[in-house]
Amino acid sequence: MASDPLRDRRLLLFTGKGGVGKSTIVAALAVAAAARGLRPLVVELGHRASMGGLLAGGRAIGHAPAAVDDAGRIHAMNLDQEAALFDHVLAQVKVRRLARAIVDTPALRRLFGAAPMVRELVTLTRLAALEAEEQAEREGGGPRWQPILVDLDASGHARMLLDLPRVLRELAPAGPLATTGRRLEALLGDPARALLVLVTLAREVPAQETIELEAALREGGLAAGGLVINQVPAPPIADALLPTLAWATERAFSRVHALPGGSPLALDLAFVRRCQGAHGHAVAALGRLRAHFAGLPRAEVGERPGGVDPAADLRAIGEEVLRDMSSWPDEVRR
Amino acid sequence: MSAAIDRLLRERRLIVCVGPGGVGKTTTAAALGVRAALLGIDTLVLTVDPARRLATALGLDALGDAAQPVPLAGLAALAGAPAPGRLDAAMLEVGDAHDALIRRIAAPEAAARIFESRVYRIMSRTLWASHAYAAIERLGDALAAERRLVILDTPPTRNALDILDAPGRLLAFLDEGVLTWLEGQGSGDRRSRLRAGGDLVARAARRLLARVAGASVVADLGEFLGLFIALRPGFVARARAIEAALRGPECGFVVVTSALEGNLADAGFLAAGLRERGVHPEALLCNRAFIPAPPAPASDGGDDPLLALAEDPGERAELGGLRAAIEALRARVLAGNARARVGAQELAATLGGVPLALAPVCPREPQDVAALAELAAAIVDG
Repeated sequence: MASDPLRDRRLLLFTGKGGVGKSTIVAALAVAAAARGLRPLVVELGHRASMGGLLAGGRAIGHAPAAVDDAGRIHAMNLDQEAALFDHVLAQVKVRRLARAIVDTPALRRLFGAAPMVRELVTLTRLAALEAEEQAEREGGGPRWQPILVDLDASGHARMLLDLPRVLRELAPAGPLATTGRRLEALLGDPARALLVLVTLAREVPAQETIELEAALREGGLAAGGLVINQVPAPPIADALLPTLAWATERAFSRVHALPGGSPLALDLAFVRRCQGAHGHAVAALGRLRAHFAGLPRAEVGERPGGVDPAADLRAIGEEVLRDMSSWPDEVRR
Repeated sequence: MSAAIDRLLRERRLIVCVGPGGVGKTTTAAALGVRAALLGIDTLVLTVDPARRLATALGLDALGDAAQPVPLAGLAALAGAPAPGRLDAAMLEVGDAHDALIRRIAAPEAAARIFESRVYRIMSRTLWASHAYAAIERLGDALAAERRLVILDTPPTRNALDILDAPGRLLAFLDEGVLTWLEGQGSGDRRSRLRAGGDLVARAARRLLARVAGASVVADLGEFLGLFIALRPGFVARARAIEAALRGPECGFVVVTSALEGNLADAGFLAAGLRERGVHPEALLCNRAFIPAPPAPASDGGDDPLLALAEDPGERAELGGLRAAIEALRARVLAGNARARVGAQELAATLGGVPLALAPVCPREPQDVAALAELAAAIVDG
């Protein structure tokens, strides 16, 4: 029943609120995938460039897929809207100069400038094209990229993107956009082809927002296929020391001369108590996520207080996520 | 509370909180609102918060488009504030804001036709709508009312710069030239038709659009544009007025971020974008920047008061283990605080040396007005 999320699908899309560490998780999975002999392609969407720092030693990542590691196993691209739109138009009209002239038409630019769904349409179409790319027979055939790891925008915009097929159908129940919408829906909604992974934190508000996001996506016909809970904090004080903390605190405050509030010991004990309290809330959020998403393949990644060192840490994090997620039964709720 | 932030609250009529998603902008806007009211300033907090939690934190049943008073009873006395100002809160409803805009500037029959347009219905109600433009619309209302201070929590748009760009883009879209181009009618003489993009290219582009989108969508779009273009003068007047308010001396932009590396980077890009548009942030507020921790015990040779609690050697050893754990925790926390502070200071320097304010990590999200006031009070200069 266990499945390997990397091997079984070509397209993995990662979403979550800003700051949860999506990009790090995506980069980590790419490194782990390459280490397993796969051929991952990381797709970053335009406006924020963090993959360069994580995978390419700080070098900028361009629009065309290019190798970022020495062995040439990990490829990455930063999907540029303008370039993707141009490619799309070129595919239709075939002549470069005409495509350029069309894309540069002021009226068309203004039309598209005010219509956000154009960007999303171009993005999804490009992703669909990448998913469909096959290797030449002489290179062994099969998918060119395995897997494609897409670092989606923060959840609000991921929803716009994933909502697109439905919006297209509403806008034009019949016609080419509807056909495009159905094709994209077939890709995104098929768990055998695409997997949507939610990335969150063990904190009250991110947990609540993740629950709401999953519900909204499900309403739109898209099932989340995995959950990564990132930066899970370690207990401030080891569990084994908790009894000691308890009796020491009780004794300190019940001494004959009351412990002055500002004394170093009182301050230290209050500090520990505050940290314990905060950790308790994190544990509660973690419990809530585990319970709510019990049927979903899940990985929990521990906090790395000193930050993540791309060179040293990514592979370990990637392996951790894969190990966790692979040990869940492959159930995807519809 | 940071002196720099207090000064902004006292001196500005409009404070705009911008920043990447997930950094706590909404909570920050609410905390600033509570603080301003405690300083005696009549304030409106205009938020974008679809979840109930902010309404709950402000002691309201729900947040709606209409401004509601936030009960501050008792809080003022606790906070030692002599005479609190009035605090009102309202939430931006995107769909409603678009409808309100149309009703404001269109005659009833024209408005009705627009509301029926399939393109309008889809664009205004779903997430596709320009939250930013709707926010600006609502802001126009708020500024018109007699309030000393408006604090605007900006929507989580793809690019928070939308709040400055959206009006211009929308106006460019609502242009006669776009409509005539779409309908394939060159206006006037051949030269102006050529200027409109060239017959060959324009025909090819229209064919392409029809092929990709379908004829009915193109027709819907044309109809929508036709209806809207008539409203253009109203849009222009509105957009200009609000732009003036956003760029005027009475408006202050505060960049809100968290200490996470990703958010600091995003905030940096955002601030650069603001500067490119001629807007200079007046403060940087970094959320979750520190966990308050007492200093490590002085090593003056005196007995550790923790170890002194022991009544036998066994207990002393046990307490020694606890002491070591406490020191390890303190070291981790102080190191984290230092890293966050350095990151935030570096960003503040990149922003041209703006005042930096640091907000503490809250064990949990503020649940009531008192907690918001506490959060505000705990914000320090960075």
